[in-house]
Amino acid sequence: MDENQRERDELRKELEGGGERPDRSLGVTRRVFLHRSLLAGAAGAATYGWFPLVNTLDLTLGAQAGFKFAWVSDTHLYPRDVNTRFVEKAVRAMKEVQAMGPPADFLIFGGDLAQLGDPVELDLGNDLLKEVKLKKVFIPGEHDWYLDLGAKWTKLFGQPNWTFDHKGVRFVGLDTVSRGPDYWTAKKMTPKERMGHMATLDGSVAGAWAGVGRDQLEWLNRTVSGWPKDRPIVIFSHNPLYEYYPPWNFWVRDWREVQEILKPFGSVTNVHGHTHQVLYNEIGKMRSIGMLATSWPWPYAPTGVPALTRCMTRADPGDPFDGVGWSRLAMSSAGKVENEYVMWRKDVLGEREVDSGCADNVNQILQSRVADREWPYYGAYK
Amino acid sequence: MKLTRIGLVALGATLAVLVLTTSRAAAHKAKHTPEQLKVFEEIFMEQVKVGDLLFHGDEATQKKLDVRLSRTGMACAMCHPFASDVHPHEFPKFQEQIAEFATLRDMINWCIEKPNEGERIDPDSKAMKALEAYVYWSNKGSSLDPGRH
Repeated sequence: MDENQRERDELRKELEGGGERPDRSLGVTRRVFLHRSLLAGAAGAATYGWFPLVNTLDLTLGAQAGFKFAWVSDTHLYPRDVNTRFVEKAVRAMKEVQAMGPPADFLIFGGDLAQLGDPVELDLGNDLLKEVKLKKVFIPGEHDWYLDLGAKWTKLFGQPNWTFDHKGVRFVGLDTVSRGPDYWTAKKMTPKERMGHMATLDGSVAGAWAGVGRDQLEWLNRTVSGWPKDRPIVIFSHNPLYEYYPPWNFWVRDWREVQEILKPFGSVTNVHGHTHQVLYNEIGKMRSIGMLATSWPWPYAPTGVPALTRCMTRADPGDPFDGVGWSRLAMSSAGKVENEYVMWRKDVLGEREVDSGCADNVNQILQSRVADREWPYYGAYK
Repeated sequence: MKLTRIGLVALGATLAVLVLTTSRAAAHKAKHTPEQLKVFEEIFMEQVKVGDLLFHGDEATQKKLDVRLSRTGMACAMCHPFASDVHPHEFPKFQEQIAEFATLRDMINWCIEKPNEGERIDPDSKAMKALEAYVYWSNKGSSLDPGRH
């Protein structure tokens, strides 16, 4: 047994520990819950009660062997001495990824490694990621970018958009964060002020910053143009590639153009971060799966939750390990991709209304904040 | 004669009370001017803005009000954008995390102390009233639903 395998086995033994074991009748555990969200539209709805658990995607892999990959994102690290909880959770995710058996072929880190783009935060994240010895690929989040406009991030992780082919699948990493309109120059903001506004999810100053951009759309078009139309494409992005809730940039502003480019392909899966919650959507042949954060869960937006989404459970704010986690994604030799949310401590889905993160909020009416509508802007993280 | 004098004093006192009561009542019945309403609104919205700043972790406002709402870098708005998922209209209620019948102010202090690891604030302080103003304003239009879990 080689050293890596021994380490994986030890880690797995330690992390799985005692406690509840898989319920054989369901094939799921309470600790690690499979979100088989929909087999297909109404058929999925019909199986809502007992088969709700995996985003099962029919991909044409032919005779290619199946494989796994892992997603971790939204660690939102502060310097270690400011917030240790986020560090603990990021470490746990990295260890669990490394302990996967059989091992993942690669890890995608889906952005927002840092909270305020501080080089100290990005260096810390880079160090923690070294726990994972697998191949790693990275896309940026807005929190990584707007202190120095990506200088430190690109130095550590390279080009923010990329593509590679792996066992019959074309993988694409999109940069959905760096093309925000310039809201800082005219206002003479400092880099910290610029970052502060970007880091405020419900702020209005940074505007509709999430986008792919004309140049990258052309790049995407070139990237997929030679790919067979019946072969799978998996596209990673920090933001969802559809319109969920623009006031919190739960979208990219040019999502229609992205959809248009990918329309000819029979099997496209978008895996995204940013929203810190369980999400599932289908538009045409593209399916989108929202990933958990390791840091904290966002509440569902007041409108726009896709009808195909089965909402996650209400998180307990007293438990920092609740409502957060990472994902195992498996592409089987039978041509299916399954997403397995690894949420710590609790079931992923709110099966009953009283436990559902969506149903819990049906009685609230919200309006957007007020203090950042005036100049000079209040609350700009001076 | 003596009785008449006492009677006059009593009558005078009664009249004085009546005059005073009537004039106070008249003050209450005076129609509100647009200027008055504007002032009321401004006073309220100023507190909403202060609460918004506190809710979003503004350092200067915390310093001014001598409060420390977080030691983790986290601000209230990071889990509650637009003050969502606060549900001010559901208080008072049994609050699971506190394991007690609780008001919104109790829960705000719990969030400050536990997830944010900050310092509990006086429930009657200016900071608490401002936070309350922002949270209620953000949820304006939500129906009262006290006790809902």
